[in-house]
Amino acid sequence: MKAAPTLPAAFLHPAGQSLPQPLLELRKQRGTALVDMPLPTRKTENWKYSSKYLKLTDDMGISLPADEKTGSSLAVPGYKVAFLNGVMLPEASEYPDLEGIRIQSFGDLDDDEAARLAERLDSNLDGKAVQLAQLNSARFEDGLFISLAPEAVLDQPLHIVHEVTADASGSAFPRIYVDAGRHSQLTLVEEYISSGTAAVLVNTVTEVEVAEGASVTSIRLNMEGENVQHVGATGVRQQRSSRFESHTVGFGGPLRRHDLQVRLEGEGAECKLNGVVVTQGKQHYDNHTTIEHIAAHCNSEETYRNIAADQSHAVFNGRIHIHQDAQKSNADMNNKNLLLSNGAEIDTKPELEIYADDVKCAHGATIGQLDETSVFYLVSRGIGRRQANVLLTMAFINELVDQIPVESVRETAHTRLNQFFDQTFEEA
Amino acid sequence: MLSIKNLHASVEGKEILKGINLDVKAGEVHAIMGPNGSGKSTLSQVLAGNEAFDVTDGSITLNGENLLELETEERAREGIFLAFQYPVEIPGVSNLQFLRTAVNAMRTHKGEEEMNAAEFMKLAKEVSKQVDLDPSFLKRGVNEGFSGGEKKRNEIMQALLLQPQLAILDETDSGLDIDALKVVSDGVNALRSDDRAILMVTHYQRLLNHIVPDYVHVLAGGKIIKSGGRELALELEEKGYGWLGIKDEDAATDAAN
Ligand SMILES: Nc1ncnc2c1ncn2[C@@H]1O[C@H](COP(=O)(O)OP(=O)(O)O)[C@@H](O)[C@H]1O
Ligand SMILES: [Mg+2]
Repeated sequence: MKAAPTLPAAFLHPAGQSLPQPLLELRKQRGTALVDMPLPTRKTENWKYSSKYLKLTDDMGISLPADEKTGSSLAVPGYKVAFLNGVMLPEASEYPDLEGIRIQSFGDLDDDEAARLAERLDSNLDGKAVQLAQLNSARFEDGLFISLAPEAVLDQPLHIVHEVTADASGSAFPRIYVDAGRHSQLTLVEEYISSGTAAVLVNTVTEVEVAEGASVTSIRLNMEGENVQHVGATGVRQQRSSRFESHTVGFGGPLRRHDLQVRLEGEGAECKLNGVVVTQGKQHYDNHTTIEHIAAHCNSEETYRNIAADQSHAVFNGRIHIHQDAQKSNADMNNKNLLLSNGAEIDTKPELEIYADDVKCAHGATIGQLDETSVFYLVSRGIGRRQANVLLTMAFINELVDQIPVESVRETAHTRLNQFFDQTFEEA
Repeated sequence: MLSIKNLHASVEGKEILKGINLDVKAGEVHAIMGPNGSGKSTLSQVLAGNEAFDVTDGSITLNGENLLELETEERAREGIFLAFQYPVEIPGVSNLQFLRTAVNAMRTHKGEEEMNAAEFMKLAKEVSKQVDLDPSFLKRGVNEGFSGGEKKRNEIMQALLLQPQLAILDETDSGLDIDALKVVSDGVNALRSDDRAILMVTHYQRLLNHIVPDYVHVLAGGKIIKSGGRELALELEEKGYGWLGIKDEDAATDAAN
């Protein structure tokens, strides 16, 4: 048997030594595990549909330069933090010093804080399911640490922009850690963008701890270019009566993979996960979600929509695991998929594992095309065919886009969707 | 205005229309009656340009222009309007957005300026009152969860907004109670004008008490087998389709209506 492929050698060496000592040590330790780590293949169950898109070459192993340009202020309203190639740009960031709220780059933590953080990093993820998160832990060069004291409320969304400059091949390892204390509230936007055309890898990890009664809303906007392979993981742990809401809007690329793991560890916790994915050309996008119902009386609600045009390929895998003690769990998962061309492919798989007996668990998945009867109805009123297609495609995702609680993100999503429509539906 | 000559159409290889001839002039109201399955909806859909039906022979012209060469949306912009027998539900597209998009598509075609949201809202509210639909229906998805009667009123509302040259009403009377029938007929009568023609497709004659047609045609087995004035409808009501030698399972219910 052929040995499973491992990471090209260049990926094994971290650059950027400007982190506090405890984090450098953690990174080094994680790095030793990378040497023999098998990369996902077609035979790896959770990468079955996507491994063929993962193409890591030696020249992508080096870190993209962190000091290339000084960012200008971001064109987003409210609090913002800019990262370039995984390293924070303080000059381009704007957020106030608010009582009870700390927003800091990993590089600015003192050794004690860094030691405490090092103990907690990776503890919110199931490493077996997110193999490549280890790579991030071995390679991150900076990160964003957000900590909210009990009762602290961030009064506006915090917009984090992760940009990579792909002037030459390389990779970047954005990292975020959120510690939302009891009854605190936070809305955060993670926006991933790129410039340049060289083949690069963006490998992200975001961890969120949601303490008792806290409420965190997390928006993920993926808009990187056709040269960017993106493998990201988000791990969330929720305590009693907490709430976590996630909105993902993703546009395809050569490889787009996001794993979202939510653990409902305290009674009465609830999460809501929404996702919209749009792919075209030969693009790919794969969302894998896992909701672990560990404590009793928790609710989860999940709604994902994929739209695939041309020869693109979208994947959704939704796992719900209801543990033995999680009585009175309420889980509702819904995935609908729209194929805009005969050459497009969508794979969807609900995975339910239920070990408690008193639970409500509903799931549904459909794959379809635009309804011809509806198109005919619209064009019979004089509406052009292109516009009819746009209306019906938007109808498929309107509800989810409207639920995104940040206006500037909704606008960005609409702009990108309109570009998608321009390219996908021909002018009559 | 509309001239149909020797029209043959089939669906999935099965011939449904077998040589239809019909001339409709501006200002006229024609009723097309016939038992279920005789091809009334097929004729309506073919006029509107539904590609599920193949026209295998014959011609259709509108004001001398070959309709068969036009796409559905082009026919609509030339003034063809079909009120569907089964209006389509489109969740996720609001009725208001749908109506405004349609009205603006027509205006753009005519070289007129588009209506903005506020202007259109005002107009839509007025017209919805005319068909006795609460303005809250404008916010709902297109026909989403509408009752049968509400869907039919929504169709008439569209006709009133789009002001077509030729309005084809496919069983717009079916499934309506007496009050709704009155509302819908008032709407249709409001559409009547010297430069507009109306083609009313109906199984029953009761609508014709409210909207008096100039001509009545009987469609059976894909052909118009008899044409006459409005007295033909009364005769049909009295004697049923059997009188013309047509089998009709619904004749009994028809007479009961
Ligand atoms: N899409 C279709 N596919 C197959 N058969 C059809 C379709 N539409 C109509 N037909 C058939 O064509 C005939 C005429 O139908 P239709 O035009 O709906 O009649 P009417 O409206 O007069 O009741 C019927 O036998 C019907 O079954
Ligand atoms: Mg019919």
